Amino acid sequence: MQRALTRISYEIIEQNKDLSDLVIVGIKTRGVYLANRIAARLNQLENLAVPVGDLDIRLYRDDVHTADYRMQPDVKGSDLPVSITNKHVILVDDVIFTGRTIRAALDALMDQGRPRQISLAVLVDRGHRELPIRPDFVGKNIPTSRHEEINVQVKEIDGQDGISIAQLEA
Amino acid sequence: MKRYLILEDGSVFPGEGFGAETVTTGEIVFNTGMSGYQETITDQSYNGQIITFTYPLIGNAGINRDDYESINPTAKGVVVHEAARVTGNWRAQMTLDEFLRRKHIPGIAGIDTRALTKRLREAGTMKASIVDAADEHAFDQLRALVLPKNQVAQVATTQAYPAPGTGKDIVVVDFGLKHSILRELSKRECNVTVVPPTITASEILELNPDGVMLTNGPGDPKDVPGALDMIRGVEGHIPMFGICLGHQLFALANGADTFKMKYGHRGFNHPVREIATGRIDFTSQNHGYAVDPNSIDPDQLLVTHEEINDHTVEGLRHRLYPAFSVQFHPDAAPGPHDAAHLFDEFMEMMDAFSANKGASHAKTY
Repeated sequence: MQRALTRISYEIIEQNKDLSDLVIVGIKTRGVYLANRIAARLNQLENLAVPVGDLDIRLYRDDVHTADYRMQPDVKGSDLPVSITNKHVILVDDVIFTGRTIRAALDALMDQGRPRQISLAVLVDRGHRELPIRPDFVGKNIPTSRHEEINVQVKEIDGQDGISIAQLEA
Repeated sequence: MKRYLILEDGSVFPGEGFGAETVTTGEIVFNTGMSGYQETITDQSYNGQIITFTYPLIGNAGINRDDYESINPTAKGVVVHEAARVTGNWRAQMTLDEFLRRKHIPGIAGIDTRALTKRLREAGTMKASIVDAADEHAFDQLRALVLPKNQVAQVATTQAYPAPGTGKDIVVVDFGLKHSILRELSKRECNVTVVPPTITASEILELNPDGVMLTNGPGDPKDVPGALDMIRGVEGHIPMFGICLGHQLFALANGADTFKMKYGHRGFNHPVREIATGRIDFTSQNHGYAVDPNSIDPDQLLVTHEEINDHTVEGLRHRLYPAFSVQFHPDAAPGPHDAAHLFDEFMEMMDAFSANKGASHAKTY
């Protein structure tokens, strides 16, 4: 997981000649911590403080749909430190599944301003997309079945870092 | 048989000869590893060098079939405090003494390796010789010695050869490779083609591999100028991973400069910091040259790892291309396995590169 985040950081550097207009936005809850870690690595490598924000997407969801309703993020409002208009926003989430969370996040972002570009970084891509959304930076592709659930744990709230797969009850 | 180790600066160390009985000359270096003498002696990066082992007892596990890093070692000599008289290991096939005899490498035991190493740390590595008589003639010969410049050509393969596997397709450019690099790749099921160091970029691109590895090797990176065009022609088109000499060549190809270190890093206990995360790995190292940190163009290369003690540049990554390199040996033969994950990182880099090929809208250049 450390390694995946480090590699994502390198790829962000690789693909952006100018890092000064980056804004990293984590999707609550776990995405925020991952966003902070990516920003910390960029800071170490480039001596550059990239603004980090967090995003509440609950109000923007299109449904409480059946596929991943168990994983509804528990959120409490957005906090973006800078205006995102004309910035390159890198959206960070822990797991991409159907893509509906990301769609909601895009809506939420658009309400805050008009970014020049939005990229998506995820720690785990588990497949089963229902929308035409594709991450730009992927930590790990983990093919799953719909009867499984991916849990990402971060030290800050779960006490440890880890990724686990659990079987959902039929 | 009484023999002498003589140094360019006039020092004489009397000792007891073992291994081959020939007279030898070379650059004397010291290795601080506590074990792994077989891997060290057979490592082609020690081409032309007389290796001093600082650990006081060498040879107690003999020589076995598993730990060769090359078939025909080209180190010039072995200096130890005490060579084990008895070999006690179930894998041992022969004693160190017999091995050195077979490979025509002279050894000398009974040397105060601590004093010798202190001397080398003060004065830097220098020319040295193992001789039968420490007379004026021997010193004249030593002073007249010119160290060779074509070391890579001496040890690298001249013909391409395959090391087949069922996974990713890797071209390994051999500058004097350690077998352990191939072992690490075969552990990851790679289909490897080892090619000579004279290969050109277009020849590599024709092979259309998933990744290119630049191996370790002996000597001064500036003695291998032909490789720089190859690196510049390949980087960006194919993910690239360089180790040791490969790292220095990668740096040179991207505008940085290298310099000869006073006494280098040779051993298995060199702490290296990964700058992005602050993580410390203990690494196996063997290099007498290093990349000059002041020469690095920050628009081209990113320093990813540094040595903690003297801040030597230990890892680089290209800013725009999927290419990285490390000065230390992640294949760790011998040495700690802390850094073996770099091979996995290389695999992941190739995955990410092929997944993103022409598909990403995130590229802004």
